Amino acid sequence: MSAEALVRGRAAERLRTVRWYQRPRWKRLGAMIALAVLAVMVTGVQGTQRDLFYALEENLTSPLLLVWLALTVGVWAVREFLSPQVKAVSDGYRSVVEEPRGKLRRAWREEKWLRWGALGALVAAAVFLPSGLERYWQTVLVDQIAIYVLVAIGLNVVIGWAGMLDLGFIAFFAIGAYSAAYWTGALPVQPPMELNNFAVIPVAIVTCLLAGVLLGAPTLRLRGDYLAIVTLGFHEIVYLTAKNLDDVTGGTGGVKVERFSLDLGFWSYEWGVIDPMPYYYLLLVFIAVVVFFFWRLEHSKVGRAWTAIREDEVAAASTGVNTVRFKLMAFAIGASTSGVAGVAYASKVGYINSENFVILLSVLVLAYVIFGGMGSIAGVLFGAAFLVWLPEALRDFVDPKDRYMYLGVLLVIMMIYRPQGVIPSRRRARELKLSESGESDADAMTEPAGGRLS
Amino acid sequence: MTTELIKGKGPGGRPEPDAGDLVLDASGVTLRFGGVTSLDGVELSMRRGEILAVIGPNGAGKTSLFNSLTGAYVPQEGRITYRPRAGGEHELRGRKPHLVNHLGLARTFQNIRLFGALTALENVKIAAETRLKSDPVSIMLGLPNARRAERASDRRAHEVLDFVGLAAKLNELAGSLSYGDQRRLEIARALATDPQVLLLDEPAAGTNPTEKLELEELIRGINRELGVSVLLIEHDMRLVMSVADRVMVLNFGKKIAEGSPSQVQRDPAVVEAYLGASAEPEEAAEGADGTDGGGVPQARDGEVTDERAAQDGPGKDEA
Repeated sequence: MSAEALVRGRAAERLRTVRWYQRPRWKRLGAMIALAVLAVMVTGVQGTQRDLFYALEENLTSPLLLVWLALTVGVWAVREFLSPQVKAVSDGYRSVVEEPRGKLRRAWREEKWLRWGALGALVAAAVFLPSGLERYWQTVLVDQIAIYVLVAIGLNVVIGWAGMLDLGFIAFFAIGAYSAAYWTGALPVQPPMELNNFAVIPVAIVTCLLAGVLLGAPTLRLRGDYLAIVTLGFHEIVYLTAKNLDDVTGGTGGVKVERFSLDLGFWSYEWGVIDPMPYYYLLLVFIAVVVFFFWRLEHSKVGRAWTAIREDEVAAASTGVNTVRFKLMAFAIGASTSGVAGVAYASKVGYINSENFVILLSVLVLAYVIFGGMGSIAGVLFGAAFLVWLPEALRDFVDPKDRYMYLGVLLVIMMIYRPQGVIPSRRRARELKLSESGESDADAMTEPAGGRLS
Repeated sequence: MTTELIKGKGPGGRPEPDAGDLVLDASGVTLRFGGVTSLDGVELSMRRGEILAVIGPNGAGKTSLFNSLTGAYVPQEGRITYRPRAGGEHELRGRKPHLVNHLGLARTFQNIRLFGALTALENVKIAAETRLKSDPVSIMLGLPNARRAERASDRRAHEVLDFVGLAAKLNELAGSLSYGDQRRLEIARALATDPQVLLLDEPAAGTNPTEKLELEELIRGINRELGVSVLLIEHDMRLVMSVADRVMVLNFGKKIAEGSPSQVQRDPAVVEAYLGASAEPEEAAEGADGTDGGGVPQARDGEVTDERAAQDGPGKDEA
């Protein structure tokens, strides 16, 4: 009996002991080394079909592995052994920076000329700097950045202000683009009368308004996830219609669209094929007008009603806010902005097919808005511009096929450490703070379908 | 004036509400959730200009009644008739909450539901603006009518905040106001829509004794100075007895009594509902006839407060 007890006691003791590699510190080291190996596999050479282990051998023997190991183990070592020193340094830095920063912030809030000056400098930079860029970057600036900035501003109305998750926003962009193609006579079906590209803009706005209301009306009772799925479905309907109805839309083969031109009788101008800069200035005007209008909207009755609906729909309705009307309005205004972007896109690139409007773009535009800061116009402008620019810039440094992977990593890191976005809106940041302390919801999206009642 | 108002239990300085002039008239209101009957043929007749209190133990259906009146719930049966001052009759059952509000019924919530990330002023402006016409296009273009509406809502919000005594806290975030101020702000938001009937759902819950006294005065002021009829759910019997013209008692979704505060206090059915069958009716009546203003047996008051605290849980204390 005693022998048996002894054996059991030893076994229990062995089970209880924590070995060195089971301690959290060394576990974290293991995780960091694994991360380094993963990173080298992902960023190293591609595999081939002929030799299954080619990529493994190449990457694990390459000096790149050492670089990654040095990086990850370095981060681990600093966090484990040097954190007091790091904290002291960052505290020292903060105490030095604190005062001038506070002063600057106060001045920013109080001095009107500072804000106007900053705005003027930004506008001047936006007007004059791009003409010094290479042709390639000018094209990126117009074809992608300017267009998606416009789309993102539209999506910001729906998601950032009214708090409705829309995963199919590019559908309205497509409707705008195909409106341009239709009314300029580019599609296989002919319009009753051909219009100038500029005249198409109001037509596209109205079309997208109607499409927005059409999508909005049956879905208004839905919230959050359910609404997101419906918008996803709406996008697929529009996309597949464009793709498969090729007698009408040109399908994947695409159609050629005329470019912008203006003929006022005494003065005429054509936006040419090669030089992107005239389009750039045109789009800059569009963006400036839209931003100005939306800035007014945000600080008006409409913006406040949207905030009320986003924060507490039941309370908003009991306060007399017509929630249906304001939600539809958000859908319609967002959609029509996207429609304008669609017209501009079709008229700039001169060619559209159904593959210009895949679901990935809807998701990317959503990422631009969230990355920049939902509900903040400055944030959305920055977010869209930066995230459209990034993959293009990465082209020179990494395997072009992997570009969006880096974008993904950036988004993951961003959402962990700064979920409110780069330049958050003040209201949104407050809501996030309140929801962290459990006092309210960050947005209407997380509310149950029926709404909570007291 | 204030002390006089607190002492005098009757309606001072205003005409007696006319028993025939009903501003709200509900009959047979029945609300079921699956197998649970939350309201069972409730009758409610509210006179124009009176303060009517709805009391009852927890789960009696008081808040369900409010939700049914304001359109948040649609009762399966019954009629809810609303007669505005201008004349005419409106059926409220099945009407959307914002349309009920537009007719002139405004409410507050038991668990405060302000827009926490907006300032006090913005909270009230949202309510005031629902009465003003301005479309998004004229706002974007900055047309004169939009500017006028903006100024009007600003003025109105300032007036209402002045009235409830929050003039000094205009630009503070609603979420960071003290609990009593949040209750006031909710009342201000409801008042900004210019209601004829104000429904207050436990406005005194979680407030301290000083705030309760201020609230009492505020409710009287709303009723007397603004001429708003007030429907009040409240667990604090002191407040109910001193402020209400009439009281109706709900239990298990049914109306069990109605009448003046002192009548209701003596009603055996009411005493039974609150204390159980063993209580002596005479005892309760004695307490009510006593000299002190509220005149409610201490045990009853204490019990109700405890129940409420237990139900609300820890969340209320933080705020």
